[in-house]
Amino acid sequence: MDDSTKQVLRQIIRRIPLNKLQNMLSKWEHLSKKQLRSLEFTQPKWLLCDNLLSICEENDLSMKHVTELEIIYRIDHPAQGSWNVCQLIDPEEEAVTADLLHFKQLFKAHLRGLISHVSVKTKKHEDGAIWIRIAWGDNFTQPNHLKPTYVVHHLQTPYVFVSGLTMKHKPLLHQALVLSAHYGGIKDVHLSGRCLTALRDLLMRQYKQVFPVKHPRLLLERSPLPSNPNIQMEHAKHAENRLQMAAEAFGEGILPKLETAVYKLETRFRENGNGMLGRREEPFRGVVKFASSNLLESLKYCVSSGMASAPVTPLLSSITQKGRNYFVITDKGPGASHTPGPNI
Amino acid sequence: MSLLKPLNKLPELNTANVLLVENEELFQKKLADAIVLLENNVNVIVRLARSLPLPLESRPRIDLVVFIVHLNSEQSLLSAEASLKHLDSSYFLGKVCFLVTGARCGTLPYERLTSLKKLAATLNSPLLMTEDRTTEGVNTVAQRVLAVLRVAAGLVPMATGLYLSSLTRCTVPTDPDWQNQD
Amino acid sequence: MEDARECLRDGVLNHLNVLEIEALELSRQQQLCLQQQSRVDDLRIMVDKLRAQKDQLKARAKTTMSLQQLKAVVHQRNEEFNDDISEEGCSMTAKSQLSFLMARKTQVKDLLQAHHLIGGYDVTETCRGKGVCISIATAFEGFYLETYNLELDVSRAIQICRHNIPPFIPLEKLAQVNLQTDLMGFLSTLSHHLNGFAGRRQQIRLIQEVLRDSVEVMESNVLFNTIVLMCADPEENGRAVLCTLEYSDLSRYLPTKVTIESEDKALPSTPQWKESQSLLLQTPAHTALKALKMKGQIA
Repeated sequence: MDDSTKQVLRQIIRRIPLNKLQNMLSKWEHLSKKQLRSLEFTQPKWLLCDNLLSICEENDLSMKHVTELEIIYRIDHPAQGSWNVCQLIDPEEEAVTADLLHFKQLFKAHLRGLISHVSVKTKKHEDGAIWIRIAWGDNFTQPNHLKPTYVVHHLQTPYVFVSGLTMKHKPLLHQALVLSAHYGGIKDVHLSGRCLTALRDLLMRQYKQVFPVKHPRLLLERSPLPSNPNIQMEHAKHAENRLQMAAEAFGEGILPKLETAVYKLETRFRENGNGMLGRREEPFRGVVKFASSNLLESLKYCVSSGMASAPVTPLLSSITQKGRNYFVITDKGPGASHTPGPNI
Repeated sequence: MSLLKPLNKLPELNTANVLLVENEELFQKKLADAIVLLENNVNVIVRLARSLPLPLESRPRIDLVVFIVHLNSEQSLLSAEASLKHLDSSYFLGKVCFLVTGARCGTLPYERLTSLKKLAATLNSPLLMTEDRTTEGVNTVAQRVLAVLRVAAGLVPMATGLYLSSLTRCTVPTDPDWQNQD
Repeated sequence: MEDARECLRDGVLNHLNVLEIEALELSRQQQLCLQQQSRVDDLRIMVDKLRAQKDQLKARAKTTMSLQQLKAVVHQRNEEFNDDISEEGCSMTAKSQLSFLMARKTQVKDLLQAHHLIGGYDVTETCRGKGVCISIATAFEGFYLETYNLELDVSRAIQICRHNIPPFIPLEKLAQVNLQTDLMGFLSTLSHHLNGFAGRRQQIRLIQEVLRDSVEVMESNVLFNTIVLMCADPEENGRAVLCTLEYSDLSRYLPTKVTIESEDKALPSTPQWKESQSLLLQTPAHTALKALKMKGQIA
């Protein structure tokens, strides 16, 4: 083990909380049972780390093995760092039948063809997704394992989830992805968030959507009816209507956990009087940002409780409908703008 | 939009109808439960609404309209003011009453209470301060609403809503201290 | 009385207050009693209702039974009719009842057919006539699976505004072909795709459920169009056999290509396995494998 490997291992150990460390190391499967038992998890972390390093040295583990530990930890705890989503467009015939092994080989080959020093590690997750860890170097330096890029892709779907990618490496990754997945191009869909599963559920439509049907089921969250026959709700129908509209716009049950929605305004300033701002020729630039620990749930509550007027404005409902949370609003188009988003 | 009129529907025997209007829908359910539980002699029907106007449906006449205003939200006051426009003027002859919650809290802007008091005074209606957090407070206010309701529904002999409201209506004090706070 | 004196010392109002609280408590208890009573009444009414429902169901079951008997009679009679026209032994009443029931049955069948003819999709109007919501049900071997929904904006050109169809179904490609020109054609191709997908997935689920001990699903993907199954040969210390099913026609639930591989190179070319290969091509995977297991070809 060289110094850089040790440094990377130390960094990984530092990131993993102590109570999860034992579980992770046993999943890693590069330590024997005896070695695992010899580690004391009640020790301070630096001491534990030193012991672990000596064991790893004993086992003659290399960078390849160390990065495997990181990828295992990252798969188990995907809600770290910010994830961005790209969409592959113009699928070729082979895109439908692409298989994992083939994709892996192609991707590695293409990326290595584009940049000489790069380290790629892939792992298949239980849900069928392929996880790719890329450590970038350039023509003269070794790959930097301290700041890897993570890419998650479900084969046969056009979506790619990327975390920790710099602008410099973006074109390289995009090119390799497009070529190895047999697509014609790739574009940003303006959706980002910390929770990977939420982004996936939103785009793959794995959360419960509500549609108008002829025989509506009872909505789960319907407010309990007054217990006493002498108490009557005058607006019961309206309340029901609001609940239905909120459910249609944002879904039902557990909603995907988005944190932010950003609206960039490039519109003329409108006001009643003849203020300074209203007469300006160039557009008024502003940013409106909604932030919450679960944005969709908050928006849904706003609508269902009557705080926001129903029907829901397309600006808010396009978060789920178009699957994006960054919008640019200009004067020309009503509602959401024409910047590219996922085609749904 | 049609106005809500107190006398265009026939009353039912031994029945009193009260309408609780509250934009937030936080307190009305508790109050409604308390009112129904307290009254045993008269058939009291409580109707809950967020705001006026009400949907056009057949309903017996409403004897008393209670506006619940939370002092901690401006919207609450604005919504009550907007709803008042949909009441026929004859309701203000003793068939409207205001409930205020959170008046005890010192950090809330005092102007809100002042403007509400002025509103109640100009409409000749009583204004009741309420404690909405405790069961006792809810029971007390339920009793007071019931007392007003019984009179407004004509269930108390020799008393009318107009007579009662002339005694209980809110008045704006005229001392200079009060006006300074305005 | 002692209590009253005690209380009166604190003042009349206080005493009144205490009395009032007691009165309230009493009335609450009374109310509770009343509520319980009314609950009992409600439950009694419920019991009556349920009894009535039970009777109804019984009656319905009885008619179904008699219908089945009659059907058997009809069947028999038809056969007899073919053999011998002259025989006529049934009484008039049973005959008229039978013909009535038969008429009803054909009526229901006609209705079902009509529903199928107009598309068989549930269509709901939305946005005051500006849009429609179409739900497409998927089914496999007589069992309903997921229902997918599609909300269309029909005010100007037909546009898909909202749907819950998974992204790996090539919806966009299908929409480009004939969404504007032939909506029914679009819906039927989409429905075939969805049914094919749901059917393929259901086969894998059934294999995992029913043939858990003998067949292992080695590899599958989100579209379920390339599936690798592993099963073992029962003889000669269980050589593993890999079946690769490829579905190049995404709207079908039967594979277009089946490859069988084994450590023993000669095994796939035995007549036995050649036959099972064609069986896998013609029948759903779970029934084919079940048949193979029954025959003892796989462990």
